Amino acid sequence: MNTQHDKELMELKHDPVPGYKPVFVVVFTIACLYMAFILFHSPF
Amino acid sequence: MTSETVMAANTAMATDLMPALIFMVGGMLVPFFKGRAKSVYMLIIPVVGFLNLIHIPMGDYHQLVFGGFNLVLLHVDRLSLLFGYIFHIIAFITVIYILGFKNDVEYVAGFFYAGAALGAIFAGDLFTFFVFWEALTLGSVMLIWSRKTPKAQAAGFRYLLVHAFGGLVLLAGIVFHYSHTGSLEMSLMTLSGLGSWLMFFGIGINCAWPILHPWLTDAYPEATIGGTVFLSAFTTKTAVYALARLYPGTDLLIWIGVGMAAFPIFYAVIENDLRRVLAYSLINQVGFMVVGIGIGTELAVNGACAHAFNDILFKGLLFMTMGAVMHRTGKINATDLGGLYKSMPWTCLFCIVGAASISAFPLFSGFVSKSMVMSAVAHMSHDQGQGALVFVWLVLLFAAAGVFHHAGIKIPFFAFFGHDAGHRVKEAPLNMLIAMGIAAFLCVFIGTFPKYLYSVLPFQVDYEPYSISHVLAQTELLFFSALAFCLLLLSGIYPAEQRAVNLDADWVYRIGGKKVYNILAGILNPLNTGCEKVVRAVASASAFIFKDAPARIMLFVSVNIWLVFGIRGRYLELKKLRLYNDAMEGTMPIGLGAATAVGFVILMYILT
Repeated sequence: MNTQHDKELMELKHDPVPGYKPVFVVVFTIACLYMAFILFHSPF
Repeated sequence: MTSETVMAANTAMATDLMPALIFMVGGMLVPFFKGRAKSVYMLIIPVVGFLNLIHIPMGDYHQLVFGGFNLVLLHVDRLSLLFGYIFHIIAFITVIYILGFKNDVEYVAGFFYAGAALGAIFAGDLFTFFVFWEALTLGSVMLIWSRKTPKAQAAGFRYLLVHAFGGLVLLAGIVFHYSHTGSLEMSLMTLSGLGSWLMFFGIGINCAWPILHPWLTDAYPEATIGGTVFLSAFTTKTAVYALARLYPGTDLLIWIGVGMAAFPIFYAVIENDLRRVLAYSLINQVGFMVVGIGIGTELAVNGACAHAFNDILFKGLLFMTMGAVMHRTGKINATDLGGLYKSMPWTCLFCIVGAASISAFPLFSGFVSKSMVMSAVAHMSHDQGQGALVFVWLVLLFAAAGVFHHAGIKIPFFAFFGHDAGHRVKEAPLNMLIAMGIAAFLCVFIGTFPKYLYSVLPFQVDYEPYSISHVLAQTELLFFSALAFCLLLLSGIYPAEQRAVNLDADWVYRIGGKKVYNILAGILNPLNTGCEKVVRAVASASAFIFKDAPARIMLFVSVNIWLVFGIRGRYLELKKLRLYNDAMEGTMPIGLGAATAVGFVILMYILT
């Protein structure tokens, strides 16, 4: 058993990598629009 | 049933043992073995059980009349056999996994628990089912308590309370059902009377329905490393079996299952304890099974049962890999783990197989069973033109993506990759690797050759999972989920793992219960204090009045007598003082006491 790392993190943050936030927004928007389009054009 | 037919049935199958007893009695003998003999003996129990099982033809055996009830201790059909097979397989794998722990309590509890689950699924009547259902609680609580930590003890106690309540509800349901129908048969039921509703609710507690589920996410992560693997296999799956046996086609189950599939995703994503993540994931997967049973068609029930079979394997595998990590590092929180792929490559590989299986990647076991439930929902929606089932289908699709997110990616990522927590440990022990290897092999084998699983399902299977459209659709879903995870993580939106207790329905007793307690304490404690003050004041006043009352009565009588006899002045004062002191100290001539008593009796006589 490892005993060298007794210091425990209280929080494991995920710092943003510059440039990815706009990518996320664009992909998320396209995905939502695409899904809405599919749903509105479905037969049910 | 006449006694002759009962005896005939018993005689005919006297050579077939009850699968439950092989485990329960066999497990009790484990502590009497030492060293290598103990390991061999423990491995033999599930093997003997399995060999016994495959030789039992379908039918009712070990029938007896007890208290006027016709009990069937062993009922074998395709549904019970399917669960019987997988219970034996996972028991064998788990026994290999725990061989190194040298914990007799865990061994005995594990076998007892597995035996109870087998007893419940092979029960041919509701009373026998109830007895083994309760035994299931005992075994599982012992598995939780055998970790021997304060948290485990508290969680085990809560687990016991919830399941004892659930058992009572089930028993009440059985009693009502029997009084209404006169039957204890384990057969199809409808939600038509109080009895069937109570049984439905009692089974729902063990099935971890939404709001009734906190016992699962509370207790499973607190059990021993091997105990959690056992627990993941039996309690909820026995409940799934019971629903499939008693309530297939019950519409309400569709909505309960949808809730189960959807809500755990949100909690699993923010949870730090990786075994608790898997506990939420367990509820999520059981949700798919419950939906399938609610749909109730042959394809849906087959899908639910196939998914139960597969879930026992891949969820057990995932719990085993996390157990191995915990065994080597002593940690289980995502905040404390990461980078273990270098130290534990085989465990990492098996974890990825389990993750791929639960996520339903093509060629892994989840793919060939989850899709049956999804297809059953789609077929029913198409056949009946019910728009509501489209919603069900979409939620299940969301749940399928969510499970890939939290169990498929999060578990391996935070344990074996992600940030390097600096653990430099040995690979998992050989017995653990063998157990994980067998489970991983079965996950891949079933995913690649599903016909073997399909051949043991309750109904004839007419389903082909590997169609181009299905493979493409599922792969698309998974890859877009992976894309979502990456983008959420890289854009900093993914929630941080925090060392905290996340509350869901357990808010009711962790926060709500405390608030109710505080409110009641605020009302009742002052009332109690006030009442105590009043009682003290009355008692004190009474004591003051009556402390020398007998002495004063005695003085009143004696002084009048002395006055008659002409005693006066200083001598009278001296006699009064002496009599008062004697009366208060209890040292007075016995004749005086007797005279007072006689006077008192006479006075009472005159007055009455």
